[in-house]
Amino acid sequence: MKKIFKLFVFLVCVAPMALWAQDDPKLTVSAKKQVMVGERFQVVFEANAEGKHFTAPTFEGFDVLGGPFTSSSSSVQIVNGSISRTTKNTYTFALQASREGTFYIGPASLTVKGNKVASQSFSITVVPDDGSHAAPSDKGNGNQGQSQSSSDPQVNGKDLFLKVVPSKKTAYVGEQIVLTYKLYTKVPVSSLSVEHVPAYAGFWTKDITDNNGGSLRQSSEYINGVEYTTADIQRIIIVPQRSGNLTLDPMTIECVAQIRTQGSSRQSNDPFDIFFNDPFFNRNIANVRKELSCNSLNIEVKNLPENGKPASFAGAVGNYNFKSDIDKTQLKTNEAFTLTLAVSGTGNIELLQMPEPTFPPDFEVYDPKVTTSYNHTANGLSGTKKAEYLVIPRRAGSFDLTPVEFSYFNPSNGSYTTLYSDAYAIQVEKGTGSESEEGGIFASNQEGIKYLGSDIRHIATGNPRLKPTHSSFFATPLYFIVLVALLLVFFILLMVLKKREMLRQDNAANRNRKADKVARGRLKQASQYLKVKDQDKFYVELSQALWGYIADKLSIERSKLSIDTVSETMRGKNVPEDLTQQFVDTLNSCEFARFAPGSADEKMEDLYRRGIEVITKAEKIL
Amino acid sequence: MKRYTLLIILSFAALTMKAQTETLNEQWFEQANAAYNAGNYDSAMRLYERILDTDVESAPLYYNMGNAYYKMREYPMAIYCYEKALKIDPSDDDARTNLEIANLAIVDKIEPVPQSFIVRGWNGMKHWLSGDQWAYVSLAAFALAFLAAGLFLRARRTGLRKLGFFGGIAMVLVFTLSVLFAAQLKRASLTQDQAIVMTPTVTVKSSPNTASVDLFVLHEGTKVSLLDGADGWSKIKIANGSIGWLQDDFIRPF
Repeated sequence: MKKIFKLFVFLVCVAPMALWAQDDPKLTVSAKKQVMVGERFQVVFEANAEGKHFTAPTFEGFDVLGGPFTSSSSSVQIVNGSISRTTKNTYTFALQASREGTFYIGPASLTVKGNKVASQSFSITVVPDDGSHAAPSDKGNGNQGQSQSSSDPQVNGKDLFLKVVPSKKTAYVGEQIVLTYKLYTKVPVSSLSVEHVPAYAGFWTKDITDNNGGSLRQSSEYINGVEYTTADIQRIIIVPQRSGNLTLDPMTIECVAQIRTQGSSRQSNDPFDIFFNDPFFNRNIANVRKELSCNSLNIEVKNLPENGKPASFAGAVGNYNFKSDIDKTQLKTNEAFTLTLAVSGTGNIELLQMPEPTFPPDFEVYDPKVTTSYNHTANGLSGTKKAEYLVIPRRAGSFDLTPVEFSYFNPSNGSYTTLYSDAYAIQVEKGTGSESEEGGIFASNQEGIKYLGSDIRHIATGNPRLKPTHSSFFATPLYFIVLVALLLVFFILLMVLKKREMLRQDNAANRNRKADKVARGRLKQASQYLKVKDQDKFYVELSQALWGYIADKLSIERSKLSIDTVSETMRGKNVPEDLTQQFVDTLNSCEFARFAPGSADEKMEDLYRRGIEVITKAEKIL
Repeated sequence: MKRYTLLIILSFAALTMKAQTETLNEQWFEQANAAYNAGNYDSAMRLYERILDTDVESAPLYYNMGNAYYKMREYPMAIYCYEKALKIDPSDDDARTNLEIANLAIVDKIEPVPQSFIVRGWNGMKHWLSGDQWAYVSLAAFALAFLAAGLFLRARRTGLRKLGFFGGIAMVLVFTLSVLFAAQLKRASLTQDQAIVMTPTVTVKSSPNTASVDLFVLHEGTKVSLLDGADGWSKIKIANGSIGWLQDDFIRPF
């Protein structure tokens, strides 16, 4: 910039030139011969003539951050009347060394007026970063006239370092540890940024850094009699979640230290330099960027002891108080009450698992409203966790709320402690109009049986119905006796029935057999009445002989005896039609003569004859 | 005459003795139940055992013993007692329920081989009543069948004769089934064809020989069917159909 300014002055002041002198075209390269890993540097190719088709070498082993940035300038010089003109084209590359070693950089080429010009090849040695390397700051402020000193000022590792301070190095699982990352410095530090945060594998973490307005809390501390300014960069609570020897990898920060340089070492005749190097503009301070890593840390995490671990233990580690509160214990159905459980104390209150109360099954319980309030001190987190249960009893009655159990492990004395909440007796009265509120019908009040547990059914009581071992009624002699007895009863019954039937049948056969005999007896009697001409008695005997005969023969009951039944029964028994007709006619005439007396003797004789005839005929067929 | 008097006195004495044991047993049963209700399962168990020692048994007795064992968390014995109760009275619904609950408390859970619906229906019907009850049913059906036959043979009215015919067929069917059920249940109660594993862990072998191949492992409380036996070994089959050999010391047959 200053040079261009000077050139400009020169060009304005000096008359235009008449002669041009020009050298052979050349391509030169300039770069550092030795760099450190991670260092940024420039490689500049300079040509003294206008050219085309610049081809860059491959910068193997380096990261090309930018380029080629081209710039050109030309100057004309008149020395003792001879005019010389200089043209300068530069091609600049910004590189960063990525790994150690010696790297060969090939030639770059440029075509100048049809001739190809190549630069020299060269090699760069990359050396490991010695840790004290501080990259020159490119954040220089505008009013800081001096930007980078050519000889990089170094910050001594003893002047500026990072340390991590744990509150304890052995802990139980779940016990909180406060880690403080402290920066110790003897030089002013203008800015810092955290580059690498440890992974904290196996830990639950909570950052509790005081961030009041972005400035760090500073204090001073003596180490081996040397005063350091310390700043807490980060304060973090870590809670181990598993046992074992857990390693924390170091934190890395990058900070810019401000280092006073050794006065204004550069003396220059240049009036501009003198002007710009004025102490007013130049505070002689170098901004040195430095990466700092703290020590890595081993923390031995112990398992919680198994013996004496209460059943209600849910992982709480610390030192706690446990309280419960209820807003009312006497209420009506469908009114709500609030049960509040509060755990307060020191420990990982944020991850604390609240104990859960058990309510009677008829209580409607809503999910608890859990509020956590905590603050952090040098000892770690402490605070209060509250769980508020809104509970609505739906049925009347008196209920007991059993005490809630809360257990924690106290790492300071290495033992478990169990705390109990208060027990409450709750009286629920039947609320008025609750049915109508719930829909006004009884059905809405019904509910399915809730099974609270399962158990075996109760024992049998009463008569044990004991009997000798391995006794069974089936196929015992008694069983067969009963079977045979039943069989006998049946056959006896059957035989009795049969006998009665036979008796009945015998009766009919008798009558049949004797019918002829009886009839003939009656007829004989009738013939005697015929001889004495006793009409009435004759007809009675005759009709009785006929009726009696046919009734006995056909097994017709006397009460059912009539002309119709007789003819019907005779037809049913396949008696020839003429005989039936004859028999019926005889019966009719006999009846007629009986109730219409006064007929002649011949008629009586005739009827008597016909009676004997039909009985004889019938006897043959029936 | 003197001889008869002696006989009468003797038989009377025998009867009273029998009655005395019966009342004593019932007293013990009541005492045991009271002890059970009070939670003294141990003393309840002793009283139940004392009743068993008088050579009597019953489904309620085994059922109560099963409950007492269950409460004492001796699940294999509880299962054994429930199985005994069910053998005497397969219609005991309480014993069946408690057996299922006790079976949940043991280690082995074996998927049984599914039975055909005919077998299930047959067994379901068989388990409606106990063996003795089936015997009574068979006698009743026998009597009714003959009554129906008599009706069919001798009734004058057709309706009654029809009733006699169909009723008789039905009763013959009932008689046949109940005789079969009673016979099966009696045979089951007299033969010990099942057993409960009593040792916490036993290895079932491929042959009755300790040196033979280990087939599978059973745990206490598991029911096995006994197929065969020889020299202190039993050939067993578990519910899923696997077969192997177990030493008799490990199991309790019923």
